[in-house]
Amino acid sequence: MIRFSAVSKRYPGGYEALRGVTLEIGDGEMVAVTGHSGAGKSTLLKLAAGLERASNGSVVVNGQNLGALGETALAILRRRIGFVFQDHKLLFDRNAFENVALPLRIAGFPAAEAARRVRAALDKVGLLAREKTRPVALSGGEQQRLCIARAIVNRPSLLVADEPTGNLDADYARSILDLFISFHQVGVTVLLSTHDEAALERLACRRVALASGVLAP
Amino acid sequence: MRTWIRLHAMALRDAAGRLLGQPFAAGFSILVLAMVLALPVLAAVALRSAAAVASRVDTDPHVNVFLALDASEEDARRVGQALKAQPAVSSVRFVPRAEAFEELRKTTHLGELLASLDRNPLPDAYTVRVASADPAALAALRDAWSKLPKVDRVAADGDWAARLAAWIRFARTLTAAGGAFLALAVAFMVAHLIRLQVATRRDEVEVSRLVGATAADVRRPFLWFGLLEGALAGALAAAFVALAGAWLQAQMQVLAPSYGIELQAFSLAIREAAVVAAVAAALGWAGARIAVQRELKSVSAGR
Repeated sequence: MIRFSAVSKRYPGGYEALRGVTLEIGDGEMVAVTGHSGAGKSTLLKLAAGLERASNGSVVVNGQNLGALGETALAILRRRIGFVFQDHKLLFDRNAFENVALPLRIAGFPAAEAARRVRAALDKVGLLAREKTRPVALSGGEQQRLCIARAIVNRPSLLVADEPTGNLDADYARSILDLFISFHQVGVTVLLSTHDEAALERLACRRVALASGVLAP
Repeated sequence: MRTWIRLHAMALRDAAGRLLGQPFAAGFSILVLAMVLALPVLAAVALRSAAAVASRVDTDPHVNVFLALDASEEDARRVGQALKAQPAVSSVRFVPRAEAFEELRKTTHLGELLASLDRNPLPDAYTVRVASADPAALAALRDAWSKLPKVDRVAADGDWAARLAAWIRFARTLTAAGGAFLALAVAFMVAHLIRLQVATRRDEVEVSRLVGATAADVRRPFLWFGLLEGALAGALAAAFVALAGAWLQAQMQVLAPSYGIELQAFSLAIREAAVVAAVAAALGWAGARIAVQRELKSVSAGR
């Protein structure tokens, strides 16, 4: 599903977030990336989801070398990958339904089909009753769920989540983790980052440790 | 194809919703754009009207050669032969003083005044048509003829019409240049408005890019917005021109008969109004395209 070969990422200004990362994640696998903040977790996830490009090395997702894709092809590939952002990236001038519908609108889905999928996604994360609510009126955990609903509305085969339990209390974090476990159980490849030991225990999946941009052996 | 149409329909709805969502701001900018567009269109319509007038005026250059009052029949004959000898002259018509007097009495209201005169004050005259309209050649002929014996005065009546035609040509060039300039101004004004829009929708643009929008997807609603704004401004400009035309026509109606001119309709046909709106829509689209291209670059650079 995902193959990193000697991947490095250097940001403008010279900061090197990843160095020579080689990693393979199989179809339907669930992998947790661990490490301190600044270790390069977010960069690795963004490279896997085609949100950023590697400076060196190759990233292959679903058999496609992301470095070889043009901007438009890369954008279209992103539609098949669900991404749960650390800072949610919700639009505060629209309600929950409209936020989740955004990827489907962009892909040009017929309205009726889109509405059905949006409601299914909201139902999955337990927010169906709040479809008319704007993100400001939602709690942090609910916003996180809304972001997950938007990530899965396109029914992606790869779901990437950056610190999905970051600022949540233990109970809420557990229910979010259970959501990811349930996606994994139906065959979705899940790649997430966390630095929370309790979360890792609950997920009970393969771990990949990053330290200063380098994979720990 | 169905998806493509649906994407455009959604973008159009989005753009229309945004226009209606802020009726004051949108209406104000459309009004300003319409006023800028109306200027060259109004100038073009006025010129067309003036050109129609000029073309109906006899611009075939003719010259009146007036003889001295004491010229004899023999003198008149000699002048006539001299005029006919010129190769540039296409026709020469002799107007005897009695005939000129009779014509003046019939066509003007000076009958009583003329009747009170004890003698005919008008001279014999020749009306000469010249084949060439070249002003320099015409001037040379006038010069030569005024030096003929017993010729009192040489007047070229067609001069003002020729001058009018030249002025109209000049004004056309000026209008075309000014029109091009103002069209550019409209495109850049739309570009500025769209730039502001993109700035206020930066979050939406950024999130859309993250969840898989291509550059074209992001551009689409803004292009429709520019196109709509341009089309509405163009339609409004056509309406302005129609109003201004009606008002000017009323003014001209008073002025025109004193020049013996009948005015042509001073307005825009529906089809021409549609052309104005279409050109304005294209300008709006182009302006939006310029703005979005620039703004998109700055968004993707921040990614």
